[in-house]
Amino acid sequence: MLAFTIRRVGQSILVLLVTGFVAFSMFTYVGDPIDNMLGQERTQADIERLRDQLGLDQPFFVQYWNFLKEAAQGNFGLSYRQGRPVGEILVERLPATLELAFVSGLMALIGGIGLGIFTAIRKSGALSSSIMALSLIGVSLPTFLIGVLLIYIFAVELGWLPSFGRGQVVDLGFWTTGFLTVSGLKALILPAITLGLYQMTLIMRLVRTEMLEVLRTDYIRFARARGLRERAINFRHALKNTLVPVITVTGLQLGSIIAFAIITETVFQWPGVGLLFINAIQFVDIPVMAAYLMMISVMFVGINLIVDLLYFAIDPRLRVDRSAAKGH
Amino acid sequence: MIRSTLTVLAFAAAVPASAETFRWASQTDPSTLDPHANNSTPVLSFLGNVYEGLVRRDRVMGIEPALATAWEPIGDGEGWRFSLREGVTFHDGSDFTAEDVVFSYERAASEGADTASWFAGVTDVTAPDDYTVEIRTKAPNPIFPDSIANWLIMDSGWAEANGAERPATTEAGYATLNTNGTGPYRVTDRQPGLRTVLEPFDGWWGEDRGNVTEGIFTPIDNSATAVAALLSGEVEMIEPVPVQDADRVEAAANVRLIRGVEARVIMYGFSMDKDTLIGGETDGNPFQDARVRQAVAHAVNVPAILQTIMRGSAEPASQLVGSAMRGYSDALPDRPAYDPERAQELLAEAGYPDGFSFLLKCPNDRYINDESVCQATVAMLAQVGLDAQLDAIPVRNYWPELREDQFDMYLLGWSPGTFDAEHPIRFLVATQTDRIGTWNFGGYSNDRIDELLPQVQSEIDEDARQAMLDEIAQIVQDDAVYVPLYVQPLLWGAADNVDLTQREDNFFNLRWVTVN
Repeated sequence: MLAFTIRRVGQSILVLLVTGFVAFSMFTYVGDPIDNMLGQERTQADIERLRDQLGLDQPFFVQYWNFLKEAAQGNFGLSYRQGRPVGEILVERLPATLELAFVSGLMALIGGIGLGIFTAIRKSGALSSSIMALSLIGVSLPTFLIGVLLIYIFAVELGWLPSFGRGQVVDLGFWTTGFLTVSGLKALILPAITLGLYQMTLIMRLVRTEMLEVLRTDYIRFARARGLRERAINFRHALKNTLVPVITVTGLQLGSIIAFAIITETVFQWPGVGLLFINAIQFVDIPVMAAYLMMISVMFVGINLIVDLLYFAIDPRLRVDRSAAKGH
Repeated sequence: MIRSTLTVLAFAAAVPASAETFRWASQTDPSTLDPHANNSTPVLSFLGNVYEGLVRRDRVMGIEPALATAWEPIGDGEGWRFSLREGVTFHDGSDFTAEDVVFSYERAASEGADTASWFAGVTDVTAPDDYTVEIRTKAPNPIFPDSIANWLIMDSGWAEANGAERPATTEAGYATLNTNGTGPYRVTDRQPGLRTVLEPFDGWWGEDRGNVTEGIFTPIDNSATAVAALLSGEVEMIEPVPVQDADRVEAAANVRLIRGVEARVIMYGFSMDKDTLIGGETDGNPFQDARVRQAVAHAVNVPAILQTIMRGSAEPASQLVGSAMRGYSDALPDRPAYDPERAQELLAEAGYPDGFSFLLKCPNDRYINDESVCQATVAMLAQVGLDAQLDAIPVRNYWPELREDQFDMYLLGWSPGTFDAEHPIRFLVATQTDRIGTWNFGGYSNDRIDELLPQVQSEIDEDARQAMLDEIAQIVQDDAVYVPLYVQPLLWGAADNVDLTQREDNFFNLRWVTVN
């Protein structure tokens, strides 16, 4: 187990290093931050001085090495745009993204499982068919279109919900939360739906398929034969056995919700790390881009690592194979 | 604690009657609150509400007294003497004196300050007494007072106490997030990229100020979101309104479209210092021939571009500055007429009867509908036999490419910082050196213009100065150094219940806002 863990951690670090290397080699093509940092009356000397000061005249692998050296000490540099430490800015913006991801994840899970069960049990009803048809929209419509559509219906036409921002935020010192005010909660609704719709339809279709499969199995038929009530069969016996793959998929999707909040955050001017990243690309704010990409890859690598370790713990065959392999 | 509730409470105690909140959104958040760290419109426009200069611009861009009450030339053009306003205090209560002006000069002109170019001709700044400042220049500079409207004055004591003696450009300093100006509003909350709150400064010396008691600024990047926020009444003003949404804002209830003309002229430039073209097989560089450049000027159908792509919002331009700028040449009101046959004749005279192919470089996210304008141009040039290969790229890659000469023809927009015709001549037309001609990517060089430019800069007599500017404008048009297309429109959206003023430099002044 220990050897397995060490090897997995080692592989994860390698993945991170490669990600960083690729990211830094791409930054050259993103553009030049100098023009955004200097006004139109700058001289050639100003350009060269700033380039030298920021280390932009060095090849990318030198820039990457410098970044790694500093990052190892917990220092991600200063944002070109704001001049403030990148770590500080990320920490400031992270609560907005995490709260949004949490709410939309929760919504996707509850809505997805509920609708999945419903469409599995009433598989030929008119309502189920229309839900299934609508879910196609959720899978196929691009996120920004859903966002803009929701804004026009609920903010512009009906005026019920805000079109942008986070509403009133309560500062707890280490965390800013929108959960404690009415306007904060209202501001969450549209972006959460936009971000969670795809995941919700995905989970719904998954639950439905799994459920239909389980409902066909022998033990469900026997349960029916025993005269158990439908409710007990559906929820106590069938649903439980459906949830294993659902939980796996949901765990993996959580990472993508955070990573792909970028578009939703841009449409709703949601002040999270995704919006920060988009702004950083526009401004060619390399330290912010680098830190964000590293943060996201750490997150994905971390989730995968945990999943791997869980499999190892759960599935005895993995262990058997390993000791068997050693014997030869 | 709830931030906005607290501010509302604190505010209710101070001003019991009629609280008027005004919320506005713009595409760009000021990157810093330091008035000397970034010479850009978003920063200087926003800080103009908080800090003040010796002079300021009124609603129609005229220069009027601000922290200085009067000014006069010293001797025979040795410089300018400013008499300062007495009884002015900074937001923290300290007095404004000549020492602050001298300090702000040293700060704004220091190495690394982005505003240093404003003081390129200044030799020294002295304070004979507490309320007089003398600014000496190398050569007579008739437009100096006009050129420093955005030079904002900072309190020397405050800056020294907080270690902000020099502008913080690459590393945030105290003045990046904190302010202490003399202006009509003070910053009460600053969250970079999220929201900035302004409240009236009770000790302000001036009178021309509307009734806003709390101004909340939010950057909204996505223009569709900004329009939605305006239509749903969540903000009272947005800028800019995208051209394609202009009609919608105009038609919607409770909001209106404010249409104006920006100081920015959109034009085409040419590569003139390269021996061969990048995007073609032609021998030599046809763009070195003025007739070829004139042919382009005749081939581009500007009225059609304005009608279809700019939807009637922009005005054609004949010079490098718009008609409202100082030094505009009244003798040249019209741009070369759209005349494809004349263009073909000119090309034939120059030895290219069958045209040639070349690389047209354009930004796709810098100016209003820039890429569409370039696409339309490609089609128009094709009609006279010119084969333009369009490469439209994001602005963050655009300037580096232009600096590396990766173009044969390119699109450029220029807004004269001084609102004077001398500005584009200095940066776009003068032969390139370290200090001037820094945006002359095409490498144009004309001895007569280089000879006239310093004279324009130091000529005190208005008529003589204008005569020289007229001559330069004529040369620029005859030589077709640039092909000016149009003056970019300025489109703001505002709620019907607010009065506000749109200024040509796209600056937004909160003190001209009245909420009804």
